[in-house]
Amino acid sequence: MQTNSSRWSGHALYLLIMAMLLSGVYFAGQKIDYSWHWERLWPYIVNTESQDIVAITDGTALVDESGQLTIQPDFGGDPQVVQRYDTLVSRNGDLIFQGDTIARIDGWRFGPIAQGLWVTIKISFISLIFAVLLGIIFGLMRVAHGQVWRNLALTYVEVIRGTPLLVQIFIVYFFIGTVFDLDRFTAGVAALSIFTGAYVAEIVRAGIQSVPVGQMEAARSLGMNYAQAMLYVIMPQAIKRTLPPLAGQFINLIKDSSLVSVISITDLTKAGREVVSGSFAPFEVWFTVAALYLLVTGGLSWMIQRLEKRLAASD
Amino acid sequence: MTDINETVKPLPLIQAKQVNKVFANGCHALKDVSLDIFPGEVVVIIGPSGSGKSTFLRTLNQLESISSGHILLDQVDLTDSRTDINKVRADVGMVFQAFNLFPHKTALGNVMLAPLKVQRQSKAEAQQTARDLLTRVGLADRFNNYPSRLSGGQQQRVAIARSLAMKPKALLFDEPTSALDPEMVGEVLDVMKELAKEGMTMVVVTHEMGFAREVADRVVFMEDGELVLEETPERFFDSHHPRLQRFLGQVL
Repeated sequence: MQTNSSRWSGHALYLLIMAMLLSGVYFAGQKIDYSWHWERLWPYIVNTESQDIVAITDGTALVDESGQLTIQPDFGGDPQVVQRYDTLVSRNGDLIFQGDTIARIDGWRFGPIAQGLWVTIKISFISLIFAVLLGIIFGLMRVAHGQVWRNLALTYVEVIRGTPLLVQIFIVYFFIGTVFDLDRFTAGVAALSIFTGAYVAEIVRAGIQSVPVGQMEAARSLGMNYAQAMLYVIMPQAIKRTLPPLAGQFINLIKDSSLVSVISITDLTKAGREVVSGSFAPFEVWFTVAALYLLVTGGLSWMIQRLEKRLAASD
Repeated sequence: MTDINETVKPLPLIQAKQVNKVFANGCHALKDVSLDIFPGEVVVIIGPSGSGKSTFLRTLNQLESISSGHILLDQVDLTDSRTDINKVRADVGMVFQAFNLFPHKTALGNVMLAPLKVQRQSKAEAQQTARDLLTRVGLADRFNNYPSRLSGGQQQRVAIARSLAMKPKALLFDEPTSALDPEMVGEVLDVMKELAKEGMTMVVVTHEMGFAREVADRVVFMEDGELVLEETPERFFDSHHPRLQRFLGQVL
């Protein structure tokens, strides 16, 4: 049994090693010929710059007493009325050409990195749901009595596990996507779900087979049919056993979702690439992108650990 | 049906006729086993391990399919493909050597599950039945315990309550005390004796000779997949059948 003092000295040693590692990284970063500009990153995460309001027609600017700005077209047509703005750029009576900035509005919107993060979360979450559905269906087929079901499920698992995800994404997008007229996002979700589903199927199969045979016999001898026995007796036990490997698979799914950037889905990774070319701050961007992935995967494993603890009530 | 005895004797509840079982590996586990079990009867099956007694018991609710022969419950042929086997199984409870309680359910949950899902009882009704049954097997203070928090003897009593919840016509016991610590055997046997006294039809595979002598209406000896001897306890234990004598010499 570990004593309290040895645990605390262990923690202290850990903090020391981590501090040394991080300061090593920091000083290495200072030594190289690279000027760090973390502040350049902010506009790409949350953009607080004021937005331009541009004229949509040629005309004359009219500002009335209440402050309402109207662009009166010179040659007829509907006037452009701007009610909300924070700074006025044009003055009363100015001659305005189409495309001129006439006012600015303050506010904020998400930058490309935040939008990319949202796409990554969205694509991972939707794929996760379909992957679990596919995994349960094919996992059940793997242990079904009919040989045809077992063969079909085995083929799916072997084909998907035996080919690279990148190639599958290309095939789904260019071939299946063309046949069924899928948009990029749907194709990305399909490729990720089919890929992860194969692994989930194997995890589900292993989970079902890890439940002792006696459980199925006890359920059947009470008069339950196969489906009831699976649903109420086998699966609840199997799911509990499969949570740790499933958590690993879901984390892989989130990381694998970075590959969909190859079919031009602007996820976190692709957003990172775009921001690098706009900000000239590659190190900062990639560190930030990595940290954001870590945040998402960390959140997911925390949730699954909570679930495991709740299910451990019967142990 | 022309036999005069048929009219005076009640019809058997369970009938095994010329049952044969050959496993996929070629092992001939049951050879022409025939046995009638009448309502309210306690039949104890004994025999050396590998004699086919457990296999025979498991064919009675078709957990084990048979290669040839017939199993009849209340005159319904279980080997007939038109028979709804799930309905039959609900009428024949089974108690296992390894208890096989559902580990993710409490004692109450274990007893309630089948009445809720198979018989579609209301939750209140199923819970009331489960409470009564658990009280009857002496576990009134263990309703909300998970199996992992129960001793072997307590688990086996929950398992008996669980099969009773389906109000079965007969109960099959597959070596119910073999996995128990010696001090817990008694509590399970007591519950079984109580059931026998209340008139439950029971088929029991066991090594408990005391139970066979005391409770059984008939004792059956099996060896090498054959039903060797079938007698009342008094005549059974006095029998001079050489194969039985050899077996009893080993276990007693």
